[in-house]
Amino acid sequence: MFFHIVLERNMQLHPRHFGRDLRDKLVSKLMKDVEGTCSGRHGFIVAITGIENVGKGLIRDGTGFVTFPVKYQCVVFRPFKGEIVEAVVTMVNKMGFFAEAGPVQIFVSNHLIPDDMEFQSGDVPNYTTSDGSVKIQKESEVRLKIIGTRVDATEIFCIGTIKDDFLGVISDPGANP
Amino acid sequence: MSLAADSPVHSSSSDDFAAILDAELDKISDASADTREVSEEEQDSDHGEESDSNLDLKRVKRRKVEICEGIIDPLSSTSQGEPTQTSGALSLEKEACLHPGAYGGLCVKCGQEMDEESGVAFGIKQQYNTRSRNPLSMISCTCVTKKDYMFMEVYLSCLQNLRLANDEIARLRDKDLKNLLHHKKLYLVLDLDHTLLNSARLPDITAEEGYLNGQRDSLPGTFSLAVICTLSNLGCKILNNLKIYNLRSPDTLKSSLFRLDRMQMMTKLRPFVHNFLKEASNLFEMYIYTMGERPYALEMAKLLDPGDIYFNSKVIAQGDCTERHQKGLDVVLGQESAVLILDDTEGVWGKHKENLILMERYHFFASNCQHFGFNTKSLSQLKSDESETEGALATVLKVLQRVHSLFYDPVSFLQERKDDLVDRDARQASFK
Repeated sequence: MFFHIVLERNMQLHPRHFGRDLRDKLVSKLMKDVEGTCSGRHGFIVAITGIENVGKGLIRDGTGFVTFPVKYQCVVFRPFKGEIVEAVVTMVNKMGFFAEAGPVQIFVSNHLIPDDMEFQSGDVPNYTTSDGSVKIQKESEVRLKIIGTRVDATEIFCIGTIKDDFLGVISDPGANP
Repeated sequence: MSLAADSPVHSSSSDDFAAILDAELDKISDASADTREVSEEEQDSDHGEESDSNLDLKRVKRRKVEICEGIIDPLSSTSQGEPTQTSGALSLEKEACLHPGAYGGLCVKCGQEMDEESGVAFGIKQQYNTRSRNPLSMISCTCVTKKDYMFMEVYLSCLQNLRLANDEIARLRDKDLKNLLHHKKLYLVLDLDHTLLNSARLPDITAEEGYLNGQRDSLPGTFSLAVICTLSNLGCKILNNLKIYNLRSPDTLKSSLFRLDRMQMMTKLRPFVHNFLKEASNLFEMYIYTMGERPYALEMAKLLDPGDIYFNSKVIAQGDCTERHQKGLDVVLGQESAVLILDDTEGVWGKHKENLILMERYHFFASNCQHFGFNTKSLSQLKSDESETEGALATVLKVLQRVHSLFYDPVSFLQERKDDLVDRDARQASFK
């Protein structure tokens, strides 16, 4: 799920950036530092949408670096248990497949793939139904339900399932449209 | 309130009663029941030291209260009652889940967080963690079995957090075997050095072999690599057709000799290796299993299989081995009974000698011959090579084909394993 929230971060800025575009430097550094990272509490920080305010800088003794507390608005993505997401399959193997929903990687074990889908090794490993009508392979798009998440300080692990109604492949790269 | 202290006379009965009352009070206040009921109880307890006849009355009273509660409860909280039931069912389900594996600390089946300390089959992990060893993106999947050794199969980096329990490995192997039998294939584990190719470090190339430098193609990237290998395939075919086996021909050398500047290596593929892989891939699911470092193994896999068709990142390297200086099939996700091994060193396959087909060593570079203590001139010095059609790989391919046909022989129904006979045959054949 996406959230638009306000976060705060203490930014250390090198003295060489002190000048009239200090603020710009601060913002660009913030974007570089923060976007794409994952915090356990809030999920993946997708994009910074604005700066709320920049606090008073504090000069560090000895180094000359200045620490600014910056409040910024950002879009974060955090997966939740029970959430339905659409994801792109990145890898298929005997144990199941991995899919990515934006920055989040989700593992779907073969226990949670419908029983009529069998693993087929070969050039393009895939899971296929016995009649061959449905195929999951790399680049397939699937709709899955997250049944478990574990949030580390810097990583989020997700387990998904497609063994439920209305879940499974939503587009097949192998099939001609 | 301690009624016991106030009732020295009816010690035992009132003690009991007091205890009951106390418990009852706690229960009621815990359940945050009607305050009226509580006050009623308190009144009761105030008269706690009265005679036994009263006691009975109170019991009846209390029973009434209990009954009332019993009636109130389901009425007031039908909506609460159901979830507790379902959660009970869920917890049962949780207990039923055997946690066949874990991804990032989550059970892959039920999504529950797993305590890595307590799980049935989840013990050591960091010890063999390959992340530090692998600058490349290919990192092995790490699975721990009951015997506290690692089970790994090589895939991309995201699999690193995936661990499998022993039972699950067995199940996967079983399932895989069925699939394999269905496709009429067997497993083939291939060694790299001296079996499929020969490598030498650039500084070890002797002056006599200097001519190779003029022959080889420096490989700037994978793309050109693919082109060269396709060319080499073509080259092999043409050569076969023309029945030219003189490998001094620069074209052949060019197509099978690679200089990997990044690794400071020169690698010569064994003659016939491309055809061998192509033919064998029809009959076998192939793994590369080498004692070399992973980056080297991956680089070699790229040379052998530029299209990533045969191995599909099923590359097992030194870091994955569960025992030092030993190769084991525990890291191969395949049933041992259907595995054939092609290696030049018998010693490393301590436990799986019966699966092994011993290969004649392929020494192309002079430095290699010296390493193994041969004083004869190397193939590179002699400017010759093994024969395409009668070399060791061609011979062993025939053996493999025979093993395969025996295994799937409809008459004998030999669904077990290539027996010792076949193995011995293979060994003798490869020694010839």
